[in-house]
Amino acid sequence: MDNAIEVYNLTKYYGDLLAVDHINFEVRQGEVFGFLGPNGAGKTTTQRMLTTLLEPTEGRIVIHGRDLARDPYPVKRQMGLLPEEATVYTELTAWENLMFTATLYRVPRSERAARARELLETFGLWEKRDVKVENFSRGMRRRLSIAMAIIHKPALLFLDEPTPGLDAQSARAIRDLIRRMNAEGTTIFLTTHQIEEANQLCDRVAIINYGRIAAIDTPERLKQAFRRVQSVEVALEPDGQTHGQALTALSGVTTAVKMGDKWRLYTEDPSALLPQVMDYARSHDLRVVSLSTLGPSLEDVFLEITGQQVGTVRHETQARGRMQGVRGRRGGRR
Amino acid sequence: MKDGWLGRLRDEVAQAWAVTIKDMKVYYLRPGMIMFGLLMPFFMFFSFSVRREMAAAQGVARLLALTVFFTAAAAGPFIIPLERRLGTYDRLLAAPMSLLTLLLGKTAVGAFFAIGVSALALLVGVVVFGASIAQPWLLVGGVLLGSFSFSALGLIFGSIPTRNPGDVMMPSTLLRWGLLFISGVFIPLEEMGAVARTVAYLSPLTYAQDLMNHAVLGIGLLSPWLDITVLLVSGVLFLVPSILMHRRSRRLGY
Repeated sequence: MDNAIEVYNLTKYYGDLLAVDHINFEVRQGEVFGFLGPNGAGKTTTQRMLTTLLEPTEGRIVIHGRDLARDPYPVKRQMGLLPEEATVYTELTAWENLMFTATLYRVPRSERAARARELLETFGLWEKRDVKVENFSRGMRRRLSIAMAIIHKPALLFLDEPTPGLDAQSARAIRDLIRRMNAEGTTIFLTTHQIEEANQLCDRVAIINYGRIAAIDTPERLKQAFRRVQSVEVALEPDGQTHGQALTALSGVTTAVKMGDKWRLYTEDPSALLPQVMDYARSHDLRVVSLSTLGPSLEDVFLEITGQQVGTVRHETQARGRMQGVRGRRGGRR
Repeated sequence: MKDGWLGRLRDEVAQAWAVTIKDMKVYYLRPGMIMFGLLMPFFMFFSFSVRREMAAAQGVARLLALTVFFTAAAAGPFIIPLERRLGTYDRLLAAPMSLLTLLLGKTAVGAFFAIGVSALALLVGVVVFGASIAQPWLLVGGVLLGSFSFSALGLIFGSIPTRNPGDVMMPSTLLRWGLLFISGVFIPLEEMGAVARTVAYLSPLTYAQDLMNHAVLGIGLLSPWLDITVLLVSGVLFLVPSILMHRRSRRLGY
């Protein structure tokens, strides 16, 4: 399969600060590629370099076979960009915003109105097309912003945090749209904090940390590589919340995290832990309200890789050690 | 997209025009534009002209030079940093058009504003004060050229890598006032000493004022062709630092 994006040795310094450190990756044509990372990891810097908004200090970006530094014009015509903020012109109406963007991207005059109408109807904004955007809610502005990003039917769409702060209905509509556009052949580069969103939408994800690619793979393969973060979730009565310390002391438990009225016990071997939990409940006259085993979530993987907390316990050194075993490509020097 | 350079040129012209129309709709009625673009030149004119004996035509020539200068140069320093702060500038930079196209579109925003305000000033001068215009075509050319040249000057400040219009307004105002005071607007060139006159030649406003004198009064110290040439060349040259600073902004991440 051809690659939509190829990144070679991409590096960005802001003065002495190294924001992106010699990263290499490729995005395949027609896939939804998630780009995850904690705040300040280099996600947005990378995306800005890919969309020509920021000049790399070093490295090469090839999009649809064209070197971005040498020939950005045809590449830009095929790109759509949804910035993190809802960047719409609030003094203009929704219709004027779309017409302006359509003109910028040279959508043929005969198609502009039909395309704008289709998008406004898709996003539930048709009735408000002549209303100035300053009167729109945050969700409506976000939807309009997405409509502006795709009015020219881009082959490659960059989405920077498309759903945070939106109500569930708007977020779902946007996720559905991403799936639909992808099904129609659009390659999606999704920068997000929303791990579950990436899990649901992405064919592959890259996790960037301290400006370097820590892992690239499909969500499921990443989870398999982190079997250590499997868990057993148990709800006990009465006073189930008071048994955290004792549950943490069970053999094989690395971390116990209170999740509402339940305890999640992280372990490498859930099958060995289950009988211990039952024994503990029996010996303390506790009723097991629910008991289940859970595989590692993408969030667990993300937290392990980025050296952040899984619940209450830090695993920074362990995570760094395990990163060596994860599939994916890493940058060279730091 | 049409194929070939002609199609590309047509695209770029349409894109520049779209930027201009959008900015006119979005920013012309903003308080910053009204204050620095509309009120400031009139304020300057009345501050330095009241209680001085001056013929109506002389006053109109001065007012036209001031409005063209202040109004045209007000747009760039106001609009671009504001768009950077709101994030909307990213949309323009990511769009498939050249940086020059974007800058020409932005230049036209200030220029059209200046042309509109100058027309208003001219109307007041002719209707209220009964001034007459000696060379109307020279007036049209002077207003057009001056507006584009000074709008390009304002764009230099708008191109400073910042997201805060306040960071730009200070140096922009300082330079504009500096160029105003060394020019031949308030003290005619023929009354200046040799040194002052030499310094005045460094200000493009001097040539705009001289051209307005030719157009309205029918007399000027310099050749009108020299005035036109200087305004034309300076307008083109003013775009160069804007392009360089935009490239710097792209390196810095603004």
